[in-house]
Amino acid sequence: MSTILVYSENPHAAAEMLVAARQLAPSLNASTAALHLGSMSEQDLKAYAAGGAELVYHVDGVDAEKHGPACVAEALANVARNVDAVMVLVAATRLGREVAPRTAQRLKTGYAAECVQLEASSDGLVAYRGVLGGTYQAKLLFKRKPYVVSLQTGRYQPEGSGSQPRVEKVSIEITAPQLELVEIARAESAGVDLEKAELIVSVGRGFKKREDLSMAEELAKVIGAELGCSRPIAGDLKWLPEDRHIGLSGKRVKPKLYLALGISGQVQHLVGIRDSKVVIAVNTDSNAPIMSEADYAVVGDIYKVVPLLTENLKKLLGR
Amino acid sequence: MVDIIVCLKQTVDVNQVRPHPETLEPQLGQAPRKISDFDLNALEEALRIKEKHGGRVVAVCVGHDIQQLLIREALAMGADEAYVVSDPRLEKADGLVTAEVLAALIRKVGRWDLILCGEASLDESAYQTGPRLAEIFNIPHITYAVRVELEDSGVKVWKAMEGGIHVVKASLPAVLAVGLEINTPRLPSLLMIRAASKKPIHEVKLSELGLSEEQLTPAVETLQVKALKVERRRITLEGEPEELAQKLAEILVQEGLVKK
Repeated sequence: MSTILVYSENPHAAAEMLVAARQLAPSLNASTAALHLGSMSEQDLKAYAAGGAELVYHVDGVDAEKHGPACVAEALANVARNVDAVMVLVAATRLGREVAPRTAQRLKTGYAAECVQLEASSDGLVAYRGVLGGTYQAKLLFKRKPYVVSLQTGRYQPEGSGSQPRVEKVSIEITAPQLELVEIARAESAGVDLEKAELIVSVGRGFKKREDLSMAEELAKVIGAELGCSRPIAGDLKWLPEDRHIGLSGKRVKPKLYLALGISGQVQHLVGIRDSKVVIAVNTDSNAPIMSEADYAVVGDIYKVVPLLTENLKKLLGR
Repeated sequence: MVDIIVCLKQTVDVNQVRPHPETLEPQLGQAPRKISDFDLNALEEALRIKEKHGGRVVAVCVGHDIQQLLIREALAMGADEAYVVSDPRLEKADGLVTAEVLAALIRKVGRWDLILCGEASLDESAYQTGPRLAEIFNIPHITYAVRVELEDSGVKVWKAMEGGIHVVKASLPAVLAVGLEINTPRLPSLLMIRAASKKPIHEVKLSELGLSEEQLTPAVETLQVKALKVERRRITLEGEPEELAQKLAEILVQEGLVKK
């Protein structure tokens, strides 16, 4: 019997992958196993158990953070070969998205990145993923084994079998090029969980100065919304911390109300807001892409409309 | 002196792709093409390194229908020369085939110290070409690069991870995959555009690369691409700011989007 080999540097993400792997296992005629690198705590083992792992391969000498993705890929590919893996399933974390393609190349096979859904067909594994900025979905078929896949997290719920997985020690000599980790600078964080926000007021390049964001902050305060932004505001301009960035490479949000102020709406941004219930956009340009992706497209100058809107809402809401 | 390879992908401009009204398939033929966004950041970073340390910048580009005009654009920005493989067979290329072809083309270029590429492509967003190339050459790769400094012994890179910036060092040669945050790509001046017309573009045939049938056979096939439909009401509000603010406030309250 072949194996679906699961890896993530985050054991909780690995647990989610194990749930997905176990669903596919019968149709691929495979068993499932997780790979753990570096020291393993009781907590780690519990996480694997929660994903329903029966077997954990443990390689002690490799540390993802310290040695870098090439070494992780080497370990993952070596174990995959040793156990004749039919599939290597990696959680699509930032490290995972570096490790998975490198592993695929080492195994001379295909890779499907950041998939949202997987299914086994008689021809092979079928994977679904977002393309063309995330507004389209591609259906992919693997023509060669092993299938290397990274899967978005947050889609599977580990339930916890409770029973302790069997741990098998594997020793691997790492020869892949290593990185030297100099330091980790913790990001400035707003400490918000935009994915859970019900109301979001979001700002874009229509704001000319950092101080002008106070208009949006005031509005957000009045209606009890969180503040979000498009990529340039957090990235190039650094006016807001990265965890407020909404879009393809940032957060994907699903609020009841998404109020986009001065955001043009590049597809990379739109993919982050597609699950919003109501989208309202305020923009001077009636042809901006966001205007055709909104429930209400308000053609107007944010510098005039937003302060007036805040005043009106204060009256209506009695604040 | 550092010699730098920059990988440039030509993609469809995803902002201008419209779905077919019935099949929902993307109408790719009707949208203009461009150099993938992050790849321009990679080129810009390569040019900055060259300006500081000397060396040459070579653009490499593979695909099924490469447009010369877009290659000239890269040369106008400041790349010294370009190597191109354009072959209809690459229309079905997956990440594996693309990496094998790029690597074989890079071997043709000769000496190099660094490969720079965009961290992901505009159309596929798979984050795979950089790591795959590094694996083929058995050298380190660093994705999500937001700042790069060359040192005597190698390269120091600031890498954006979930919890913050990881500062890492790698020996050369290495592959760096950069994101939008790293810089703002320059716009070429008229003078640079004129100068670019004299720069060499080396057209290499796919058959000259010595790749095996297996290396040219995709491992993943795209069966279907369809637009994900989101139905929006698309109601346009126009008028004086006072009216707009009044109307919008009423909508927010009436639809229960904000609560008293």
